[in-house]
Amino acid sequence: MKKIFLSLLFLVVTHVTFGQSVFDKFEDQEKIRTVIVNKKMFTLLSKMKVEDKETQQYVNLIKKLDNLKVFATQSDTKAAEMKATADKYLKTAGMEELMRITDKGKSVKIYVKSGATDSQIKELLMFVDGSGNEETVLMSLTGNFDLDELSVLTEKMKLPGGDDLKKASKGGKGPKGSK
Amino acid sequence: MRLAFFTTVLLSLLLMSCSNEPSLQKYFVENSGKKDFVMLDVSTSIINVDKAKLTPEQQTALESFKKMNILVFKTNDKNAADYQSESQKVGEILKGQEYQELMKIGSGKDGASVSFVGEEDDIDEFVFFAKNRENGFAVVRILGDDMNPNNIMNMISVLQSANVDMEQLKPLQGLLK
Repeated sequence: MKKIFLSLLFLVVTHVTFGQSVFDKFEDQEKIRTVIVNKKMFTLLSKMKVEDKETQQYVNLIKKLDNLKVFATQSDTKAAEMKATADKYLKTAGMEELMRITDKGKSVKIYVKSGATDSQIKELLMFVDGSGNEETVLMSLTGNFDLDELSVLTEKMKLPGGDDLKKASKGGKGPKGSK
Repeated sequence: MRLAFFTTVLLSLLLMSCSNEPSLQKYFVENSGKKDFVMLDVSTSIINVDKAKLTPEQQTALESFKKMNILVFKTNDKNAADYQSESQKVGEILKGQEYQELMKIGSGKDGASVSFVGEEDDIDEFVFFAKNRENGFAVVRILGDDMNPNNIMNMISVLQSANVDMEQLKPLQGLLK
């Protein structure tokens, strides 16, 4: 009996928590632009036959991705809300700062959670603070990928904050390298 | 005994979730006749293409697509509230377990999402959902059999070389004005 109860409980719990994240509340909000790509999309894309080498590289990376979420806003209140949520999340998620760039009044912070080895990344969080002048962007990317591979993604996808992310993948050779 | 109990529980759970979930099919049928809504079915014959000229891959791709169902809600000055509730309804349906969301973009005021039904290599249905507060929303279901990522790529190449029969899309023209 106990077993049944436990398995049922497990079912319910996984069902509820599956696919939920602290940032989901920013979806469907006014003044916030969102882009969400789910694992299934990456799986589907990676199943396509490709011929040229560059796309192959892209597909190789995509196989390793789970989830991509981008939230961007120009509203100050929403930006503050996003910053608060990100800060709170960072405290609990056990991520380390990979790099920090301050450029023309906007600050970019990139945090990662490393996997088995240092260059393997399980989760990447980028926060671009526009401080009223520019867009504030919150990006979360999960999977199991190499930081250097990310440059392929930033080149192929036109995402808000993509340029900033590029600096991370080209500049740092690993989570430890750019500290 | 234990096993039997467990299976019953599991089965009843499964059945429950089946009967309770509203499906898009139902939603389409329920709303097809209502004002503000336009529904249309498009068959693959819309793609006018010389079958002999297709590669074998393109042919299988074309065959894996069966038809397309489109439901459009057009907003005007009076039905803003309906737009809210109806687009929310569709959103809820798409959150159901059957529909696996691929990706989603949006800004609160407008948005779009792509979902599918079935297995990755054997997709039964694609659902596109796009909404915009000023214009309304549209749900496009692409129904097929055994659609897979490669078939989709091939289908795109078929579409590029085909003459799309605009006659079947006529009902939509009124909306674009």
